[in-house]
Amino acid sequence: MPFTESQGSDAPVIKKVSKAILNNELVRGAGRALGALGLAAAATVFSFGVLGRGDITNVTLLYLFEIAAVSVWMGYRPSLLAAVGSALALDYLFLPPYGTLIIGSGREILTFGGMFATAVFISSLNERLRKQARAARQSERRMEALYGLARELVDAASADELCRRSVSQVELVGSLTACILIRRGDGFARAIRSGGQVAVETEDVGAANWAAAHLEAAGLGTRNCPSAMACYIPLIAARGCIGVLSLRARDQAGGAQPRASSLIVSMARQIAMALERALLSEEKQAAQIEAETERIRSAVLSSVSHDLRAPLAVIASASSTLVEHGDRLLEPARTEMSRIINDEARRLNELLKSLLDVTRLQSGGLKVTHEWESLEEVVGSTLRRVDERNNDRHLRANVPSDLPLLRLDAILIEQVLLNLVDNAFKHALSEQAVEIEVAIRDGEAIVSVIDHGKGVAADEVTKIFDKFYRSEDAAGGGLGLGLTIARGIVEAHGGRIWAEHTSGGGLTVHFTLPLSPAPPRLAGFEAAERASL
Amino acid sequence: MTPGPSILIIDDDKKMIRVFATSLETAGYRVFDASSGQRALEEVRTRNPDVVLLDLGLPDIDGLALVPQLRVHTTSPIIVVSAREQETDKVKALDAGANDYLTKPFSVPELLARIRVALRSHARVGDTASTVVTFGEYTFELEMRRLLRGDRPVHLSPTEFKLLATLARHADEVVTTNTLLKEAWGSAFRTRNGYVRVYMHSLRRKIEEDPTRPKYLVNESGLGYRLRTSSESINR
Repeated sequence: MPFTESQGSDAPVIKKVSKAILNNELVRGAGRALGALGLAAAATVFSFGVLGRGDITNVTLLYLFEIAAVSVWMGYRPSLLAAVGSALALDYLFLPPYGTLIIGSGREILTFGGMFATAVFISSLNERLRKQARAARQSERRMEALYGLARELVDAASADELCRRSVSQVELVGSLTACILIRRGDGFARAIRSGGQVAVETEDVGAANWAAAHLEAAGLGTRNCPSAMACYIPLIAARGCIGVLSLRARDQAGGAQPRASSLIVSMARQIAMALERALLSEEKQAAQIEAETERIRSAVLSSVSHDLRAPLAVIASASSTLVEHGDRLLEPARTEMSRIINDEARRLNELLKSLLDVTRLQSGGLKVTHEWESLEEVVGSTLRRVDERNNDRHLRANVPSDLPLLRLDAILIEQVLLNLVDNAFKHALSEQAVEIEVAIRDGEAIVSVIDHGKGVAADEVTKIFDKFYRSEDAAGGGLGLGLTIARGIVEAHGGRIWAEHTSGGGLTVHFTLPLSPAPPRLAGFEAAERASL
Repeated sequence: MTPGPSILIIDDDKKMIRVFATSLETAGYRVFDASSGQRALEEVRTRNPDVVLLDLGLPDIDGLALVPQLRVHTTSPIIVVSAREQETDKVKALDAGANDYLTKPFSVPELLARIRVALRSHARVGDTASTVVTFGEYTFELEMRRLLRGDRPVHLSPTEFKLLATLARHADEVVTTNTLLKEAWGSAFRTRNGYVRVYMHSLRRKIEEDPTRPKYLVNESGLGYRLRTSSESINR
């Protein structure tokens, strides 16, 4: 058919409407009735034309055959219709007096009644067979569905996976979209479809809650909350309702309405039991993890508070010595007490500073300002501060003179360098120099802090960046936060930080900083300046 | 015996004041204190201290807002004292007219060093001799617009000269990047801190022996630069 453009757009609508008409139960029934009556008419025409009025035995047999055929092909009710039609036609055309519905003799009443009764009997028999076959098919499908579900559920690794597999199995039953809502308290913790987790709000939480609270199907197609967008079937396990299975038609128009069929209810029961087991094991795991976390946390807390209290204890006893016996102490002893107080106060300050830094990093309170900075200056400032603090240690730097400016937070990057250098000094012997090297490679600046000390064990290379991690033989008594802070700052700049063994022994920590586009350059400035002169 | 220079400590921590007063008095200074902004302004008006020590972390008054108010009454150096978390306040205070800063906790020798620098720098202002600043083997003659290494001149571009002159006028004090930009390029360039970095780079190459370990043109991350003229250790 030559459709024009505008007609073409109507075609799907027409298709849909005609499909809906075909699907209509009433129209299908009428078709069958017409078919039944048509066959009865065909039998009549054949009997009248070929067999003739005399051959009443064969005419009756032909009618019975026709009714049996209608019963097999079209079902119970059309066959009854065919029986009535055939009996009337037999009476009108073949039983005297011909041309009336009046039956003359007893014999003829027997013929008419016998044929009608036999027709009804055959139809009922056929109907029963059909029902049995349907039941057998249904039970087979049911077994298949339940067996398939059981097979899928047996090796699901997590509650989520179990739900995903359950949903897929339920969806095989009909053209459905299923979803499992896992209950928590009076609400739902997660909603899982075959593709994975979705927002709980994609479901009708009110209807789902009703189903969960009343242990009864609710929503679409039920008496409870029928206006909901889906049908909700509670998942009832040993400890009560642990979730809700939601069903909705896959495509809105024409699809079969989902309902809580006995198969679906059986599947829901099976899912509930498996899900309960999975949830219980998940809870157990979570409890174990929490206990472990708690254990680590308290271990860290006790070690931190010990580290903080140690210098405080020294300060307290040294200062009380000065207060109580200051006048009796000799000058050198007094000086020593004062020096101890001074040193320990500094140490305490350093510890608190790193604790504060890591707190700021983790609470997101760290503000990074990105300004054009010279790495040479940042390294230079680090060198000066290190020289002032530990003038007996050797720190060398190798910075190329033609480094472009980078956009970074100079205070924070200096902090990174100081932490790395402090760390290097802690693990190197006092006569061993620590080196800072800067290089440009693959669009980023790589800064390396190299020591030639003892190094760390192979498995510690990544662990040393963990919060509060200290290697077994760590000297110097930091909190194990320096590298954690360094990592936080570097990552806030969009860089990476990692450690590796220095060839020949020791540890090298590298970090990268991305190069920024179009840095200000001296060459351009000088040219501009000369031009302006 | 002539009375030593007077110092006003603005802090709300009485114990801190006691500790500093004791050490400063031992070092020969006269010390006053004020624990509120109002009181501080009064003290500045009536006693005109030679150095003001201002804690930015006062709970009742905004130390930052106090800097310009103090500047109305005195030209004496103001040294701001700040906690570590107040990096940005430090820069603002310096831009608002403070001369130098100290980060808590600091030692008494650090405090004394800063006060000495502040007094020296203040004495130089208005003194014609101060147009010559010497550091290491260099002599920087601001009036003559020339820098001598020993007796040989070092060539400076006009911008380099302006930068060095700004630093020299505040010798040994920290000068913020903003101030340098304003002095060398004009206030329109306040946000272009990259310019300063670029010129410092070239200036350091002309003056410093080891540019990564500068002896004179020292930078203070996040703040600015300091021209060190004496070897007196100034810790942070």
